[in-house]
Amino acid sequence: MKTIRFELNGEPVTAQVEPHHNVVELLQTMGLRGARESCGQGLCGCCTVLVDGLAVSGCLYFAAQLDGARVDTIERTEREGELDVVQQAFAECGAFQCGFCTPGFVLMTRQLLAHNPAPSEDEIRHYLSGNLCRCATYPEIIRAVQLAARIRKAGA
Amino acid sequence: MRPFELLEPSSLREALGLLDTADETVRPAGGGTALMLMMKAGVLEPSRLISLRRIEPAWAEISQSADAVEIGALATLSAIEHSGIVRSELPVIARTLRTLANVRVRNVATLGGNLAHADPHMDLPPVLIALGASVIIASRGAERELPVAELISGYYETTLASGELIVRVRVPKQFARFSAYRKITTRSADDWPALGVAVALDREGPVLREARIAVSAAFDRPLRLAAAEAVLRGASIDDEAVLIHAGDAAADEARPIADERGSAAYKRELIRVHVRRALRDALDAQGGTP
Repeated sequence: MKTIRFELNGEPVTAQVEPHHNVVELLQTMGLRGARESCGQGLCGCCTVLVDGLAVSGCLYFAAQLDGARVDTIERTEREGELDVVQQAFAECGAFQCGFCTPGFVLMTRQLLAHNPAPSEDEIRHYLSGNLCRCATYPEIIRAVQLAARIRKAGA
Repeated sequence: MRPFELLEPSSLREALGLLDTADETVRPAGGGTALMLMMKAGVLEPSRLISLRRIEPAWAEISQSADAVEIGALATLSAIEHSGIVRSELPVIARTLRTLANVRVRNVATLGGNLAHADPHMDLPPVLIALGASVIIASRGAERELPVAELISGYYETTLASGELIVRVRVPKQFARFSAYRKITTRSADDWPALGVAVALDREGPVLREARIAVSAAFDRPLRLAAAEAVLRGASIDDEAVLIHAGDAAADEARPIADERGSAAYKRELIRVHVRRALRDALDAQGGTP
């Protein structure tokens, strides 16, 4: 067991980890279930978390390596108790069915719009090609990303 | 996953010391993405991982000299994809990275780890071979340079000795040479390739002086296709028939191995068609940007 300290959704935390624990396993022990291990191979995006502002697959990241990092998960809302622009757009467009993949899509969409505020449909498809939705709500997801981009632009 | 020990040395020197052991179950880790997959699959069971993420940041830097770009082995694939130096001097690498795995893997995986993994389906090795790149390999008290073509020796096999670590990759600036990479996927756009074809062409006026063609995902390692290269040497860039001829020569000389993304016969036909198209891409991409 190793003791690690990191910032989780803005709060300093301490955790005990074994070398073989991955980030999803650690977050689950801390009561956070938004990042889900699905494929376990970094392909599906359901376990997306942000480490020092970069999206990573929690299933392919050793928990011990979070020591000293800043970690953000879907549980961190931009404003207290309110959905952010991307979440609002996903709800508005019905960009999910079972919702299992949604946290990953929302986090990846935030990353995309932070880098590229007005992505083309091709750029959206390319950026999100590493996220899988087994309910196949892809058309709605693309519309949601486009809507979120428009809302962001209008609010800017 | 079998229990193991995770060490995080704070310098290259310390890391090389820890790796200097006859125990082959001690392995270095860059981003760890490929390692974790192999450990989850039970095909790699290290007793101890030497994580390189806390060694000096200089080993992740990207720099240039008059005739080469040097990329630290710990540079992440994302950092390379977005590097201004790489985009202006080696645009084919930036373009290749855009379709390598996905954003999250590229944010974590490192160049050195990618090359040392030696999966024959990877995108960067054929590109680096076509560009004439080499790796700088360090061990305790020594350093050597080796062409990428001589690094990968077989299916997940490299010529790295125990205790050796890739520390930098040196890619010659391409100047008048132009290049392209084609990744052919058969199941979905983001799948592993059924074939990868990288070409780099050196021309003098309308005449091709030299062509390098490197193919991956068809053999136990990325390989250059010498017969196809010979067809192009001295040919005119305006001669469309010579591109077809080169594709045929590539298909004739290649001995593809079947995998779950294509039979050997299918891969041979992919080679015929996509060597020709990659050559056309390179000719069309002259002066292009990613």
